[in-house]
Amino acid sequence: MLALDAKNLTIGYGTRVLLQNLNFSVNFGEIFIILGGSGCGKSSLLKNLFGLYRPMGGDVLIEGQDITHAYGAELQHIMTSFGVMYQEGALFGSMNLLNNVKLFMEEYTSLEDAQMDLLARCKLDLVGLLPFETYMPSEISGGMQKRAAIARAMALDPKILFLDEPSAGLDPITSADLDRTILDLSRNLGITFVIVSHELASIYSIADRVIMLDGVTKSIIAEGDPKLLRDQSTDPRVHQFFNRIMSKEAV
Amino acid sequence: MNAGQTPQTPPAVLTIVDPSRATLVLRGTLNIYALGAVWSPIRAAQNAWLANSASTHKILEVDAAQIESLDGAGIGFLIDVQEAQLVAKAGFVMPNLAARYQPLLKQFEPITSLFPQPQVVHVQSFIVTTGKAAYSLWQDTVQLITFAGHVLADLVWSLRHPRQVRWGDFINAAVQAGLAALPIVGLVAFLIGVILSFQSAIGMQKFGAVTFVGPLVALGVFRELGPLITAILLAGRSSAAFAAEIGTMTVNSEVDALVSGGLSPVRFLVIPRVLAGILVAPILTLYADIVAIFASAVTMTAYGVPFINFYNGTLTMVATEDILSGLLKSLLFGTVVSSVGCLRGMQTGNGAAAVGISATSAVVSSIVLIVLVDGVFAYISYRTGF
Repeated sequence: MLALDAKNLTIGYGTRVLLQNLNFSVNFGEIFIILGGSGCGKSSLLKNLFGLYRPMGGDVLIEGQDITHAYGAELQHIMTSFGVMYQEGALFGSMNLLNNVKLFMEEYTSLEDAQMDLLARCKLDLVGLLPFETYMPSEISGGMQKRAAIARAMALDPKILFLDEPSAGLDPITSADLDRTILDLSRNLGITFVIVSHELASIYSIADRVIMLDGVTKSIIAEGDPKLLRDQSTDPRVHQFFNRIMSKEAV
Repeated sequence: MNAGQTPQTPPAVLTIVDPSRATLVLRGTLNIYALGAVWSPIRAAQNAWLANSASTHKILEVDAAQIESLDGAGIGFLIDVQEAQLVAKAGFVMPNLAARYQPLLKQFEPITSLFPQPQVVHVQSFIVTTGKAAYSLWQDTVQLITFAGHVLADLVWSLRHPRQVRWGDFINAAVQAGLAALPIVGLVAFLIGVILSFQSAIGMQKFGAVTFVGPLVALGVFRELGPLITAILLAGRSSAAFAAEIGTMTVNSEVDALVSGGLSPVRFLVIPRVLAGILVAPILTLYADIVAIFASAVTMTAYGVPFINFYNGTLTMVATEDILSGLLKSLLFGTVVSSVGCLRGMQTGNGAAAVGISATSAVVSSIVLIVLVDGVFAYISYRTGF
């Protein structure tokens, strides 16, 4: 069984199609990155994959369960099987980090408060934020907020984590720390990562496999190991992206 | 295993073999849902066994050979059990945990860091608490006075440089605070006019003085109730809206962008709103006065007082100074309400919650200051006869 399987997926807003007839799959334990230029629909695709938006056509299967046609309790059941980290962290500003991580445990488990505290501390420890458990989101840096958001996404020990641009806006050291955290979680906990990113350094260091989207053709234009794509792709768009070559207009 | 599901066989079974030895057998899937039913009972039984003083050399043997799947919650459970043994200075052995789970467990060493010591809460004395509250009030007052100074200075500057005022923002704020408030101000003023006249007429009937109810209500509305009702509604609607709007801009660093661009946030954000408050408060008050007196006239007509009697009585009772006094007061109220809303917005901290706190604070501060200004105005009126 696949962790995620997208079949003939078409997404968009209203009548405007962003991407069409996408077919790709993600294996368990894989770090899978969706990349492409700004505005090509990466984040929208991610939101369609984890069920926040309904696609215009096609199916998304998460651990074999069709999320595109699930509603009510069935949809909620599927949604507890994965975690999501939003681009800006989206931590709840009125709660400290410990309570942010505990929130979903309180809703979905019958554990006692002390037990949830312990599990939440374990999650914060995994992302290196244990000393900051009592801090409010507004009291920590952007990079720390993103790490805390990953800890919250892991609250129910999901097998799949969706991350929306985890490295965007971070300095190289913090970005490298976050990459290390993702690799550790993947190797030690076997978590599958589906990540939206266009940070090349991060992509080369963590990705097992990538797909590259193109906003003009509204399709996947490359798939595979990012280093191989960088060195071997004959598609000028892929070559330009992976080698950071300026556009003709800019030249 | 997912939410709401529990396994048929317990994933963990604790057996007390004798006072010095216990075994914990783990099997199947140990995840956050499966552990919900067994975690607390097992820890309670373990604590009871550890508290038993029949043996001083206790050891817990964990049999992990039958574990099929172990995730973060399962590791957390093992850490909790192990920590209880450590605290009791008792032994803990787990010889057969699969190698693939060892790095998971090692990540959290030393596990004591996951169990912080409870913080001692120092209860502050009444004197310290009162002192802190008084200091906070003093600081707030200083900020309010400083802000009032800034607003006054920039208002004067704006009058001298009218082309520099952001009239688009002013019109927008005036429409939101004034035009959009007409229905609610009208409704509340009408109901106040009816209720006040009706309640007063019940008492005045006993003295045969129903004819005087209308003029008295008119006097009260012009001098006090009209400006007060309007100001409180402005505080609830516009002051909170100004605080939330500027507060959100503060959170998003938009105010910082103005400062770093060499622009005064007071002139840019506050002056258009304060000018709007100064303009709309008297207009809304006059509107509220007229609606409330009309409501009173309708009510008194129902009580058999002819409209001409109501009209003549009101003309006799209410002088032009009464109307002007109310309008002047409303002008002050409008200034206070809009300024406080902007101040609270500028004082907003970080995060969405801070915007909510600012909006609430704007309404509370506005109402307190309205009452304060009203009291000062009443005293001045009494001394000057205005």
